Amino acid sequence: MTPTSTDDLLSARVRMPQHVLHRSFVAETVVLNLRTGKYHGLNPTAGHMLDALAAAPTVGAAVPELAREYGIETAKAEDDVLALCKGLIERGLIEVVDADSA
Amino acid sequence: MAIEVDSAIELPGLGDAGTAAAIAPPSPSPPPASAPSARVRLDPDELERRWSGGQEAELMRELRDDEQVLLSVEHQPGCGYLLHAPGFARILVSADGGELLCAPLTDDPDWTMLLPAQALPLAATLQGFEVVHAAGLALGRRAALFAGPPGAGKSSLAAALMRLGAELLSDDAVALSFEDGGLIAHPGVALLHLRSAEHGRLPAAARAHLGSSTRFQSKRRYAPATATARPFGSLFLLEHAAGGAPLERLERVDPFELLRQTYNLSVRTPERLARHLDLAAALASSGNVYRLRVLAHMDATRLAEVVYTELTGT
Repeated sequence: MTPTSTDDLLSARVRMPQHVLHRSFVAETVVLNLRTGKYHGLNPTAGHMLDALAAAPTVGAAVPELAREYGIETAKAEDDVLALCKGLIERGLIEVVDADSA
Repeated sequence: MAIEVDSAIELPGLGDAGTAAAIAPPSPSPPPASAPSARVRLDPDELERRWSGGQEAELMRELRDDEQVLLSVEHQPGCGYLLHAPGFARILVSADGGELLCAPLTDDPDWTMLLPAQALPLAATLQGFEVVHAAGLALGRRAALFAGPPGAGKSSLAAALMRLGAELLSDDAVALSFEDGGLIAHPGVALLHLRSAEHGRLPAAARAHLGSSTRFQSKRRYAPATATARPFGSLFLLEHAAGGAPLERLERVDPFELLRQTYNLSVRTPERLARHLDLAAALASSGNVYRLRVLAHMDATRLAEVVYTELTGT
């Protein structure tokens, strides 16, 4: 499922597909796409956002808590989360699922 | 590594030709069942038959020196990996890493160095081990690994630590396995190569400690006994530096620096890639990764003393 709008993405749930692994290190999270053999590094903030997105029922649901944690405006947090999601989707590191999926 | 070698292949450190040779020195305990093992045969005809009869090969890796190909690695599913060093040798490593078929392309016996340099580490990777480009020493109950770029001084440091009582696991490639929740470092081919200049600087007693040596290209080759497998203890990342403390325990380890220490770039199955990442995570989480700075005023002996003090507290 490829969201066609920002609203679609905010109301969707994202998950890491089975062919993607990630391991957390002190200074970054390494994400490995087993299909492409490529390794990607996420800084601590992006790594934490990824964890929050994986646990949240929708992308939009992850935003308020992240805004509080980082002491930023909700709109800024939303922009950052959407940018991260789009980048990860482009690299095949996360996929969008129906928000109602388990 | 337990290796059964064709009688026609002679390489110091692989044991007597024609015998099933365990690289580890005699020990009351048998080698662990999980240790890497391989049969190495001289059989160009069989190599050609298997490789030609298979599917189309995929080029996995090519090592070049400007325009000249030094080494190519091709893969055929089900058949294995063919290493080709033009003018030197072709070696087919079976898909499970348990058998190596050799086809020398020269009468120069140095072709056999392709075995410890490339083929045996590849075989170990195919058998489920992660091989790191490092010198491995056993110091007491644990293994210490020394990784770094060519010329960083790994072998010199290994020789110096051996004079302080460490035992050699491997000069250049250390196979690691995950066992019982920990990492185990396995002994490799029992060869240590020192640059001739370094050999020349060794005191007579140090040379005697390493044993007899032979000339190999521009280096001296030693074939000391190797230690038995050890639990992983510490990783030292060597770098030439102009200043700074010679030894620094790293609180934040760059995972990509750890990933780059792999010996093998050719096996890219999902299982292997996942294992590669897990090894980096295990090394980083050990809390025992150090930066070892090779400063201009410190020779291998002094550096070894710094490491020895850190690891033994003496």
